[in-house]
Amino acid sequence: MIFAPASAAPLARAQLAWLAALVAVAQLPLWSYLPIWISVAGSGLIAVRLLLPADHPLPTRLKRWLLPLLALAVGVGVRMHYGYFLARDPCVAFLYVLVAIKLVETRSARDGGLLVCLALFLALTPFFYAQSIGAAAMAFPVVLALGGALAALREAPATTAAWTAPLAATARLLVQGIPLAALLFVLFPRLAGPLWGSPGTAGARSGLSDRMAPYSISELSLSDTVVFRVDFVGPPPPSALRYWRGPVLSRFDGLEWSVLRRLRAGRFPTDRSRAIQYTVTMEPNNGVWLFALERPAGLPRPPLDDVTAVSGRAQEIAALGYDQQLYAAAPVTQAIRYSQRSVLSDRFAAVDDNEFRENLQLPRGNPRTVAFARDLRERSGSDRAFIAAVLDWFRNEAFVYTLAPPLVEGERIDGFLFDTRRGFCEHYAGAFVFLLRAAGIPARVVTGFQGGEINPDGGYMIVRESDAHAWAEALLDGVWQRFDPTAAIAPSRIERGLGAALPRGEPVPYLARLDMTWLKSLRLHWDAVNYQWQRGVVGFNLQRQRDVLRDLGLENSRPWTIVLLVAVVTLLWGAGVLGFARARHARADPAVALWSRLCRRLARAGLPRNPSEGPLAYMSRAASRWPQSGALLQRIGDAYATLRYGPGDTARAQLIEKLRSGIAALPRARTLRS
Amino acid sequence: MTTASASPSWFARWRQRLWRLDAGDRGSVVLRHRRIYILPTRRGLALIATLAIMLLTSMNYSLSLGHALTFLVAGLVAAALLQTYRNLAGIAISPLAAGEAFAGSAIGFTLSLANTGGERRGVVITPRSGASVRTDLPAGATRPVQLSVPAPTRGRVALGRVTISTDFPLGLWRGWAYVHFPLQGIVYPAPEVPPRLLPPGLEGVDVRRSTRANDAELAGLRDYHPGDPLNRIAWKAVARGAGWYTKQFEGTGGGGTLEFTWSELPPGLGIELRLSRLSAWILAAEREARAFGLTLPGTDLPAGSGAGHRRAALTALALFPVDSAP
Repeated sequence: MIFAPASAAPLARAQLAWLAALVAVAQLPLWSYLPIWISVAGSGLIAVRLLLPADHPLPTRLKRWLLPLLALAVGVGVRMHYGYFLARDPCVAFLYVLVAIKLVETRSARDGGLLVCLALFLALTPFFYAQSIGAAAMAFPVVLALGGALAALREAPATTAAWTAPLAATARLLVQGIPLAALLFVLFPRLAGPLWGSPGTAGARSGLSDRMAPYSISELSLSDTVVFRVDFVGPPPPSALRYWRGPVLSRFDGLEWSVLRRLRAGRFPTDRSRAIQYTVTMEPNNGVWLFALERPAGLPRPPLDDVTAVSGRAQEIAALGYDQQLYAAAPVTQAIRYSQRSVLSDRFAAVDDNEFRENLQLPRGNPRTVAFARDLRERSGSDRAFIAAVLDWFRNEAFVYTLAPPLVEGERIDGFLFDTRRGFCEHYAGAFVFLLRAAGIPARVVTGFQGGEINPDGGYMIVRESDAHAWAEALLDGVWQRFDPTAAIAPSRIERGLGAALPRGEPVPYLARLDMTWLKSLRLHWDAVNYQWQRGVVGFNLQRQRDVLRDLGLENSRPWTIVLLVAVVTLLWGAGVLGFARARHARADPAVALWSRLCRRLARAGLPRNPSEGPLAYMSRAASRWPQSGALLQRIGDAYATLRYGPGDTARAQLIEKLRSGIAALPRARTLRS
Repeated sequence: MTTASASPSWFARWRQRLWRLDAGDRGSVVLRHRRIYILPTRRGLALIATLAIMLLTSMNYSLSLGHALTFLVAGLVAAALLQTYRNLAGIAISPLAAGEAFAGSAIGFTLSLANTGGERRGVVITPRSGASVRTDLPAGATRPVQLSVPAPTRGRVALGRVTISTDFPLGLWRGWAYVHFPLQGIVYPAPEVPPRLLPPGLEGVDVRRSTRANDAELAGLRDYHPGDPLNRIAWKAVARGAGWYTKQFEGTGGGGTLEFTWSELPPGLGIELRLSRLSAWILAAEREARAFGLTLPGTDLPAGSGAGHRRAALTALALFPVDSAP
């Protein structure tokens, strides 16, 4: 009965088990993102702790030296593994082990409280790496274990008590708290940018980069990873017209194509009457490119449904480069949505004369190709005839489209065009541009995505890394015009996608295949769910928040109005939770509920029950006060006393009915009072 | 509340309402929101600070799910606050009894906690000084709670302000309420150790000095009350499982009537020592089942015996005013 402050009390076994479970479920989602030795060490320490006694894990001297040394060793190891320490990833790895070390030295409930806080923060860190539905689902066990650990720390559970009881209690609290959590999630102000520093930019993950070197790739592996999804206003254009423009590569050094950086703004088409509209939802890829169908007719805007934001937005989210490429104002580190317009066209005017010069640049070498191009140009009457002849040549010679080309050594273009003749889009686009430049026609390589798959389940289009493509542009009479040499070799790649273009027997990325198996259909369903998740939850940002506020009619309200709204809703929520709990209790025992009602009525009539008064004594007191109802009151008292204190095998239903009818037959409080 | 002529100032009223420093509670007190305070515990503060850091991190890295997790746990913490409140609200507390004790021991007070609502867990009742008592209250239950308060000196001891608190369900919030009943117990002077011999009886010669105390006529049994001397308990009845009874004796016991007189004590003795000696004598007389009278300056108890007489005598000693000694 004596109450000792919980904080100083040594841990009981059950409390330790809860803490260990909490740390384990908090560590679990990080396993796939951390070096294996970190994962194993962190989780191994949990097992070590469970083998030690609960209340006194280590001798003090050992604790004083061993654990700091261990932490230091892990710190050094993390530093060596990552090459740096003060960044997000190494800090997560260090925290991962630190939480386990803290668990090892935990011996009192006070240590346990600190450990709970550390583990809770650790549970946030997997979201740096993934914000998928699965990642969200893995946070729920952590919250449940958190509640269980806190309840256990408050009061050591008896060994006989069911371990599910704290879980059920926590789940109940969670359900009660969810309305408030949802309110905060929707209304808590979101920021447009980071508060400090730049969120980590480690590792570009885009399927594209600002350089291209196809000749040293022996096997191109394209994944099914989603790059972006598109909602078209109206019907989507046919596949052969869906060129999503990405980085434009103008420089070639004989081995690698790369981007030529220039600070010139591009021009949008003047006639936008036939522009199509669509909304792009991009996955974060740390790249600076936004994608639009060739050719973009305007800058990306906040999504169409966000009308308030269109007018007078000072800060643009992207700019148009001289090469008709959309550059994001900041690397795409979180999912973004933008509304875009494009005029479907394969040509546009060059910005200035420099482009002519820059796109004729050729490195030395590849003599066979240069000779072939000059010869062919002389035989063709014009630049256009020459280009048609080159495409015909591609079409008629034995070129093969494959994702597993042989490596080319030495003169890369010569080797590809005249010896191996096997390659994918980058080979053909590169060789085509080289041929044109050798013939004196300015040309460049354009990378991006081509095609994309319509998800029948959601009516939107998915563009994956496996849709990555490279094509060419030639400058003819001051106008850049698109040519796709891949279309000459494997037209089905352009019209129907990668799965149709590859020769039989070559591995095709699973979702790029053409046949619609049930498994693929299931994955498309799953993608549709993911898309909604991405849009509604993960992509809930400043823009979406504005949408919600507008739907609520609050778009122009002052901050304090919203604060007031939150306060009022919170009060209503509190009243609701308390009221619900009371109603639940009343359902729990009808006898108690009826008895409380009777006591309240008699109290109103001027005869409150003394707290120490039993039902029989109270009823006989009431009977002497109101003799006309005396017999009834005595019967009620008997029934209630039997229900509450009588043997367990009494006919409860009958007694409760007796109680109910008796109370119903009693005069109202006002009648009794008078 | 009546607006009496001696209506206290608003400051005093607020101080009383906030801290219940005066014993102003009468009858049964039902804990309601006006009385219940809730603040985070140290662990609660640590968790809230963690949530703040998580929120900042989520904002900086634009982690939508980070926001979601932070707010989910914040909702849990808020729901725990309501449960902490609910664990106290509606408990009715009333004073049941004040005990008696000898100085230097602890005095017991009994409060009654009546629960008209659902189950309450981990309710802690803390007197102003002395040990806390922790109890669970099942739905609809009424529980007596024994508080023991140290009683270092004789006289009246008030229970004082009692704090009823809980940190159920997660230990993140501590809810508490003050109740202050005018409940007073009496602390008798500590009996002198070692006890001195009893003064001679009134009959001059102690004819039955050699006989033992329990030779007195057994008059019958009555229900046992806490505080009855151990040697009066009907142990045979207890052993039979018949219940707890106290033996009552007819008339005087062994050595005839005793008379304890203040003025006959050695003149050099201090007041407290005199009171201690008298206290020890009263106990000895009772043990031997002898009637006794007590004469103090200002008090004159005629000879008698039994629990009521003993209590009256000890109370007279306990409340003996320091300045009334000659």
